[in-house]
Amino acid sequence: MYNFITGPLLWITFAIFFIGLTVRVVLYIRGLDWRLDRVAYRVYPSLGIKGALSSIFHWLVPFGSHGWRAKPLYTIIFFIFHIGLVVTPLFLAGHAVILKERWGINWPTIPMLLADALTIGVMVTAVFIAIRRIGLPEVRIITTAYDYFLLVLTVLPFFSGFMAAHQFGDYVFWNYTHILSGMALLIAIPFTKLFHVVGYFLSRAQLGMDFGIKRAYKAKGGFAW
Amino acid sequence: MPEGILCNRTPINTKEQLDAVLADKGGKQYYQEMEKLEVDVEKLQKTLQDTCKSRIRTWLEMCAHCGLCADSCFFYLANKKDPTQVPSYKIITTLGKIVEKNGVVDTAHMIKCMDTAWGKCTCCNRCGSFCPYGIDMGVMFSYLRGLCFSQGFVPWEMKIGSGMHRVFRAQMDVTPEDWVETCEWMAEEQQDEWPGLEIPVDKEGADIMYTVNAREPKHYPEDIAEAAILFHIAGENWTVPSLGWEQTSLTMFAGDWEGCKLQVQSVYDAIERLKPKRVIGTECGHAHRGTVIEGPYWVGREDGRPPAPYIHYVEWLAEALRTGKIKIDPAKKLKIPVTIQDSCNYIRNHGLKDITREIMSYIVEPGYFIEMYPNKEYNFCCGGGGGLNGIGRYRQWRNTGMKVKRDQIIATGAKLVIAPCHNCWDAIRDLEEVYELGIKWSFLKPIIIKMAVIPEHLRPQEEEEE
Repeated sequence: MYNFITGPLLWITFAIFFIGLTVRVVLYIRGLDWRLDRVAYRVYPSLGIKGALSSIFHWLVPFGSHGWRAKPLYTIIFFIFHIGLVVTPLFLAGHAVILKERWGINWPTIPMLLADALTIGVMVTAVFIAIRRIGLPEVRIITTAYDYFLLVLTVLPFFSGFMAAHQFGDYVFWNYTHILSGMALLIAIPFTKLFHVVGYFLSRAQLGMDFGIKRAYKAKGGFAW
Repeated sequence: MPEGILCNRTPINTKEQLDAVLADKGGKQYYQEMEKLEVDVEKLQKTLQDTCKSRIRTWLEMCAHCGLCADSCFFYLANKKDPTQVPSYKIITTLGKIVEKNGVVDTAHMIKCMDTAWGKCTCCNRCGSFCPYGIDMGVMFSYLRGLCFSQGFVPWEMKIGSGMHRVFRAQMDVTPEDWVETCEWMAEEQQDEWPGLEIPVDKEGADIMYTVNAREPKHYPEDIAEAAILFHIAGENWTVPSLGWEQTSLTMFAGDWEGCKLQVQSVYDAIERLKPKRVIGTECGHAHRGTVIEGPYWVGREDGRPPAPYIHYVEWLAEALRTGKIKIDPAKKLKIPVTIQDSCNYIRNHGLKDITREIMSYIVEPGYFIEMYPNKEYNFCCGGGGGLNGIGRYRQWRNTGMKVKRDQIIATGAKLVIAPCHNCWDAIRDLEEVYELGIKWSFLKPIIIKMAVIPEHLRPQEEEEE
């Protein structure tokens, strides 16, 4: 069972994840239309690239944009959540050891203590995000059950992984839960709004090009994100 | 599929149709007919298929429902943080539903879409700069307006505005004859004070072709005279076209995509015909947006730029002051607290923020210019943009929305608001009427004329003889 899950099923998961995301990227770019979007994407490559990078960069850095600076508390919660989500699974020693055992790849890792801190960060900020959804009327009105489902789906691999790693409760149960929920998350990403793992870059780049090429090319230094 | 006599899916293309809709004062019958106007689902589906591509579909799908756009919207703030005014909510429940149901929506939904797209959004695009994903709801509302227009669900005044452009190639019933006569009349009127002043019509190869807002010949001809005086003082070689002089685009506000193209094509034709070195537009925001920023795409210009360099009035004025073509009498600089209204259409959406401030530095005594907060790219809409000023159905909503601008102005302590945009100018005038702040508001032209140094050779002869 374990071998099947961490063998073929894992490969299928990765295939769905990477192929799915690739298809999304291709479809998005192919669906851009200079006339309908009213952006001369191809004519001003340098303005376009500058605009896209500036738009992505300012929003990728904590407090890097006017928008982030306008909401400091949310920004802190948001970045703790996302940094934990990305860094922990990629550089966890427990994951790297699998790479080493199976393929002999030496993968960089982060200390266990940091991994724990990041994981706890993800879980705590997820709770804040949920509370925010319930507590703020302007967020509540646009929140759907689907948003909570995605939040649970996202946090479950972290919670179960934390339980398994620290041997709280039934290790086998938590370990299976961790592996399966992690796969479920990876499979869900291309098919749900979690596709923003690439969609963020695409969408920000598009608006950045819009402002770079058209709506702010007259401003010194481009649009002040 | 029943359609009304006045309210229907067919745009106004003749003077007779236009008169019939105009005769229905306030759109009473028009809106009654709208209640029974059926949605042409097949047509809507076709439009969606042809025009709703990955950008908008991705925006709608990917919105994380984080609510960060809420505080960016002046309607939300002015309505005491009413959650139904959150931009994301407004677009999800209107366009979002149309896309989700692939066009299978009813009359009531389309009326809701109309009321939201025109009455709760001015397409100022401010929310777009506060969304982490860069979801620009102003762009989407402008798209929704197009869907509404194609189905006949468009505010009465917008239907008329689009019809005016289609019939007169101007947002008001100003014929080419009316326009040329107004120019001649204005030039004549100025002869005593400005001997030799001309408003040259259809001069080929001039340095400048000047385009205006139809309100100027219709209601404020002195604005044309003021432009002429300033070009005269600056010694510019300029002209106006007899056809293609109207720079505005109520078709853009109306979501009349076909009409947008017709209108802007008339201006571009004038450029091709008269071959000016460059074109300058009047102190209007949406005219600039329509003709300079969006227009090239409507007519299919692949470079996204008009056929000749086309600049906003503030760009020309800043240049004229910078290069000394127009000199300011230092004694006449403004010595009252002054602020400037950043027009969304050419500040947030064309990056001209530094240009208007440069002008302020020339005409306001140091220490008297006060910035609004927030400002520049992040300034709030005047409250009347996107055509909202002109729509009776949403007058009360607009007046409520203007509270944000009112409070911004009050906070500056300014006694004069300079508004180099027809829409902002109107909104601030109405704001004064509704809320009585005791402020003055003005375009740049009259202010500059009062403080410009008049070159010796332009002064009236009599004065010299005295």
